[in-house]
Amino acid sequence: MINFIQSILYGLTIGGILYIISIGLSLTFGAMGIVNFAHGLIYAVGAYALYTVATLLGANFLMGAIGAIAVSIPLAYLIERFIIRRLYGQSIDYAIIATYAVLLIGADALKWFFGASPLPISDPIGKLWYFGGLQMPAYRVIIIILAGLVFVGLSLFFKKTLVGKIVVAGLQDREAVRSLGIKVEKYFAIVFIIGSALAALGGVLYAPLSTLDPYMGFEIIILCFAVVIVGGMGNLRGTAIAAFTLGLVHSLTAVYLVSSAADAMVYVVMAVVLIFRPIEASA
Amino acid sequence: MGESILATSGVTKRFDGLVAVDDITYQVSEGETAGIIGPNGAGKSTFFNLLTGYFRPSEGQVHFKGRDITKRPSYERVMMGIARTFQLVSVFDSMSVMENMMLARVRQGQDYKSKTRFFFKNAHYRGLEKECADALDTLGIADKADALTGDMGYGEKRELEIAIALSLNPKILLLDEPFAGLSLVDIAHISEVIKKIKGQFTIVIIEHKISKLMDLVESLCVINEGALVCNGNPQEVICDAKVKECYWGKEDMVCY
Repeated sequence: MINFIQSILYGLTIGGILYIISIGLSLTFGAMGIVNFAHGLIYAVGAYALYTVATLLGANFLMGAIGAIAVSIPLAYLIERFIIRRLYGQSIDYAIIATYAVLLIGADALKWFFGASPLPISDPIGKLWYFGGLQMPAYRVIIIILAGLVFVGLSLFFKKTLVGKIVVAGLQDREAVRSLGIKVEKYFAIVFIIGSALAALGGVLYAPLSTLDPYMGFEIIILCFAVVIVGGMGNLRGTAIAAFTLGLVHSLTAVYLVSSAADAMVYVVMAVVLIFRPIEASA
Repeated sequence: MGESILATSGVTKRFDGLVAVDDITYQVSEGETAGIIGPNGAGKSTFFNLLTGYFRPSEGQVHFKGRDITKRPSYERVMMGIARTFQLVSVFDSMSVMENMMLARVRQGQDYKSKTRFFFKNAHYRGLEKECADALDTLGIADKADALTGDMGYGEKRELEIAIALSLNPKILLLDEPFAGLSLVDIAHISEVIKKIKGQFTIVIIEHKISKLMDLVESLCVINEGALVCNGNPQEVICDAKVKECYWGKEDMVCY
């Protein structure tokens, strides 16, 4: 039983990180119809920025996290300004090719700077918390709490702010927002940058649980696509539910079935959802 | 009749070799209510999209009050005073009626300052609520202000869409098949609304049934297979031989 609760908590950690990374992908996909592989690069850059600040420069983890977000914002701006913006209204194939190219170039650039061998990041807290017979790294608990805060923060953002309202309206009907005299792309760009900063945060949070390697963006982006597809493109609540569900599937498969099947099981769930999901009228 | 407010000269729109709009030269005069009719697939909506900036013409120019606006994007044209509605009602289902109206005021309301605009609600405190309520009142849906848009009937959504367009302070209002998909009661109501607002600004209405436009418009233009067939006084237009041929087939029809 203890073991089961523990795997649930581990699953929620993975789910929380998946949520934080996927939300930007989901919004870009839902709002602009653009499949953005470059999102995986921002995630990897976030993790390497943490490594640079915290390990190479010797500052603490929090500074590393701030550094990662600070690096991701101008990078996201450049990607949006020079690549994503040119893809509006184009065929989805162009988006896949262009953003995949960004991911490839970026990953090789990381390899060039940091080398190909995996780099470790140590647990910044390094404490275990005990609840009864249950032991849980404090760091993982913080990740779950942080994911919850991001969810609440984004919900308020989309409900209460002008930018949020315009983006929600744009998710429903881009053309109609334009017919109000609003340059909807400008607001999507703001959300693109917020989503990218969150991806960088996801890279930071995941780094101590694993190791860094230049191609880490490729692995995560596929998992995140599964989250976006299960949760529904541009569906904020759906993305949260899907991320935590798939995180649990991932963790429980690893513990109770075969650990190497964890990723595969995520795609099985995705396939099942795709087969049985009622067909929605797409905009 | 006033001066030309919106005009095209030789606009053509091609999609991968298919000519959707073929060399149309057209103009609407300030203050008039004009109709554009044509069979389904004639290119009426494409022509509208050229006027409103949703498409850029392959050839030709669009002028608004004498200014070349061919390359202006749609949202800028809205700010100049070109408002539109869509063939399929476009309102935001997840928001309340009032929130839909407030969203329309985001770019219009110079009356509230940019620094207070981070939070959506702030707009409420700037006296905009009354203006929005007035626009809703014109359409007869003032009592629905707090309703969730998604819960309303299609006819009411159409009314809301027109109320939103009105709140944009248009100089010209383009209505793309405003009667499409509506019940007879709703059609009569929308017709009344158009009669009520007509004359305050220029209106262009797309429709494929002539009968709904006859008592609303001062000029009528017929588009068929992407080309302008005839334009002028509605009575004369419907009796035009070319119009009859393209619109009703070769059979002879009695004039309206």
